[in-house]
This record gives sequence, structure tokens and C-alpha cells, in this order.
Amino acid sequence: MKKNGWNRNWLLMIVALLSFTLLAAGCGTSQPEAGNQQNTGAGNEQANTGDTNNQSGEGTAEKTYVVGTDAIYPPFEKMEADKISGFDIDVINAIAEAAGMKIEIKHTGWDPLFDGIEKGTVDLGISAITITDDRKQKYDFTEPYFEANQLIMVAEDSPVTKLADLKGMTIGVQGGTTGAIAVKKAFGDTYEGLREYEDTPSAVDDFFNGRVQAVVADNGVLSLYTKTAAGKKFKLLKDDSFEKEYYGIMVKKGNSELLEKLNQGLKTIQDNGKLEEIHKQYFVQ
Amino acid sequence: MDWNWYVVWEYREWFYRGIMYTILLTSVAISLGTVMGLFIGLAKISKIKILRIPAAIYVEVFRGTPLFVQIFLFHFAVIPSFWETFFPGSPAPQPLFTGFVALTLNAAAYIAEIFRAGIQSIDPGQMEAARSLGMTNRMAMRLIIIPQAFVRMLPPLGNEFITLLKDSSLLAAISVTDLAYAGINVAKSTFERYPPYLTIAAIYLIMTLFLSRVVVRGLEKRYTR
Repeated sequence: MKKNGWNRNWLLMIVALLSFTLLAAGCGTSQPEAGNQQNTGAGNEQANTGDTNNQSGEGTAEKTYVVGTDAIYPPFEKMEADKISGFDIDVINAIAEAAGMKIEIKHTGWDPLFDGIEKGTVDLGISAITITDDRKQKYDFTEPYFEANQLIMVAEDSPVTKLADLKGMTIGVQGGTTGAIAVKKAFGDTYEGLREYEDTPSAVDDFFNGRVQAVVADNGVLSLYTKTAAGKKFKLLKDDSFEKEYYGIMVKKGNSELLEKLNQGLKTIQDNGKLEEIHKQYFVQ
Repeated sequence: MDWNWYVVWEYREWFYRGIMYTILLTSVAISLGTVMGLFIGLAKISKIKILRIPAAIYVEVFRGTPLFVQIFLFHFAVIPSFWETFFPGSPAPQPLFTGFVALTLNAAAYIAEIFRAGIQSIDPGQMEAARSLGMTNRMAMRLIIIPQAFVRMLPPLGNEFITLLKDSSLLAAISVTDLAYAGINVAKSTFERYPPYLTIAAIYLIMTLFLSRVVVRGLEKRYTR
């Protein structure tokens, strides 16, 4: 009797595990269907009228495009009370105006942004997203609107001059960003000293606390600290071995109609100097 | 939806390391937390006010605020400033240490309540009988009350251990390289969400099942006869 009880328990457990996996698999397979209804963002009341208008060819201004962003990455985007602001936000607003698009900006978070574009609940993403080959396999990008490069933050008296010198040190990065990718590329995917944080400021905090010896992150963010943490002893290094990076606006793979509009809007604000004007507003140099 | 399960294999070292760290963190928090919890629980039912009040405040504060917030406070504020005061110039301790501290202190608050409830559930007659046999209060506690209370405490303790094991995943946010960290960062690096998350979910499930079926049930079998 005892023995039987045990066996049955284990069986139950395996069944539970399996059904759990199947449940998750079920959720997974239902996604492409949702994704097929392009642009019909969940809860977007205007989606229907927008679609019919699209079919008749005119009146595209009726459709409200959902713009996703991870609004915890100043100066590119941040939350101010219930409003999202920042460089990217100004850029996308300018593009939308130039292209005659109606947009609605939403703070989605980083991972849900990628997921939302795949599923179609988010139409486009602008969030300091670097155009990479890996990402290009899954998403489409506009022409670049910002040129970025990685910087290394180390102690003021550190002998480090380039990325390769960081070998053996603990390095803080924001998980999943190009900074993380660059460190993994240099020292291996499972490098012991790599510390991936939720966001770059956390990594920088731990640098100031002495927990990591270096931070690798985008210039746009790290250079902010030269202003806000002027009293702290650190320096920022530029290493030309980092590949140049370009930020692009991301859309669902194959959504060439939207991509074209965005590119056209981007070209307009590049030509009329609006983009440069916004750039100057955020990045002095 | 095509899932690429290969990424899990590719990053297997992270998952191995994650399992080790999760087991390490949880076992330290369980053992230290249980010892701390016992003393705090006893202090909470003590007749001495200067023991009782701090213990009560401790339990309310740690039980009443989110573990997530506690982790961040300890990691970014409390421990660094403490370190700066007592060991000026030396770098603050690593996330693993902060993780131990936050998790243990949090667990101690819950375990203290389990001890308190367990002890108070024993009929006062037991204490009276022990005392009338000539035992001191402390002896009666140690030989009569706590052994009986311990049996009653096992199910809620098992529950707390399972919660603790899962809660340790919150430490990934301060870059403790535990199992959750492996899952989250593999998902972030590879854009594959389901395979890494499902993998860690399954591993957590296996670990909690082991904890409840083998450890807790084993203890219950041993002490309830």
C-alpha cells in the first residue's frame, strides 16, 4: 500500500509537469494567429476603422500606431509621472508628424516590447535599439537615426585602456544589451566576471559601491554620469575596437508599409535639420 | 511558433551554475533563518518587554514589506553604507552576500511566526505539568514544549522553505547568478523566451518537489511517530 502510494505520487507529479509544459506550448502556438491580425493592437478601438480606411487606400492618418518603448533609459526615454519623455520620444513624434502618422506611446518594458512586436500588439519600437544582425533576422529596422558606441567606465587611476584589459575583472552591464554582447564576445559567453543587471544605473551604482570593477554601456547613458556624478572618481574610456552601433526603429518582420512611412518621415527630419536640433538638445558635445 | 531549445544547451553552464547558487542560497537562508527565527519567535512570546517589542517590530517590518524592496535596499543602500562606516575604503560585499543577508532576514521573520504559533499551540497544561515535576522554565521549554511544537511546525516550515526557494529568484535583479538569472539573461541574450523560462520553471518545480517530498516528508515521518 505504502509503495503504491509513492508510485502514484510520482506519476501525478510527472503528469503535472507534462500538463504544465503542454499548457505553455498551447500558449505558444496560439500566438501566430494573434500575430496574423497585423496592427490590430489589443484594445485598440480605432483598429477596425483604420483597417477599412487602409483598404480604400486613403486616410491612413486615422490609424493610431502603438509605439512601444522601455522608458527607463534616460536620456533616451524615461517616465515623468504618467508621461514618457526623452530623445527617442521627441524623434518619433517628429517622424510621426513628418509622415502624417497618428501614434500612441506606451511604456512596455524591454522584453515585452520585442514580444509585442512579434505578436502585433505593438506596431513599432523605439528604445535605443541597436540594429544587429541577430535582431534583423527576427525584426525589420528603419534607417539608423542615432550613432552609438560603447564606453568603458573604470576607476580614475585604473591602468585599463581598452576592453581587452578588463580580462579577469568583474564587469557590470545591462543584461541583453550590446554592452553585454560585446563583453561576451571578448571573454566568452559564460565569462565568470560578467554581471548582468536589470538596468545600466544599477550596474553603475554597484561600480560606485566597488562591487564591479568596470561598466560597459552605451555612450548616451554613461556620459550622463559625467554631469550627475561629477564628484565620484571614475573615467570613461573609448575603445575603437567596439563596433559602431546604430539605433533603428523596429517593426514586425515584413511590415514594409509601416517601414516605408517611418523611413520617409526620418528622411524628412534629417533633411530639414529637425533631428540634429533634437540631438543637440539632449547631447552636448 | 518555433522554439529554439538549443539555446538552453548552449548556455548550460549558466544553468548549472544557477542551480548551484540557488541551492546554496536557499540552504543557507533556511538554516540561518531557522536558527534566527527560533530566537525571534521565543523573544516574541517572552515575558520580558525589551525582548518582546523589538522581536514583534522585526517580524512586522520584514513580513510586511516586499522582499523585492528589502533586497534592493540592502544591496544598494544598507550594506554599502554599513561597509563604508566600518571598513572605509574597502569595496562593498558581492551580491551573493547581500542576497544571503536579505533572504535570511526575511525568512527569519516568517519562521519566527511559525515557531511562535507552534509553541503557543501546545496546551499550557504541559508546561504546568513539567514545572510541577520540578523542571525549570527553560528545561520544560527545551525538553517538553519545543519537541512537541516542532512536530506541529513541520508542515508550515516546509511551506516556508518552498516559498524561500522560489523567492531566491528575486535576487537575480541584483545580479546574483542564480537559476532565475540564467533564465532571464539567456532569454534577453537570445530572444528565445519560452525555452529558457520553461527550463527554469521545470527546474524550480523539481527542486520544490524534492524539498516537499523528500526533505519535509522525511522529517515529518521521522518525528511524528
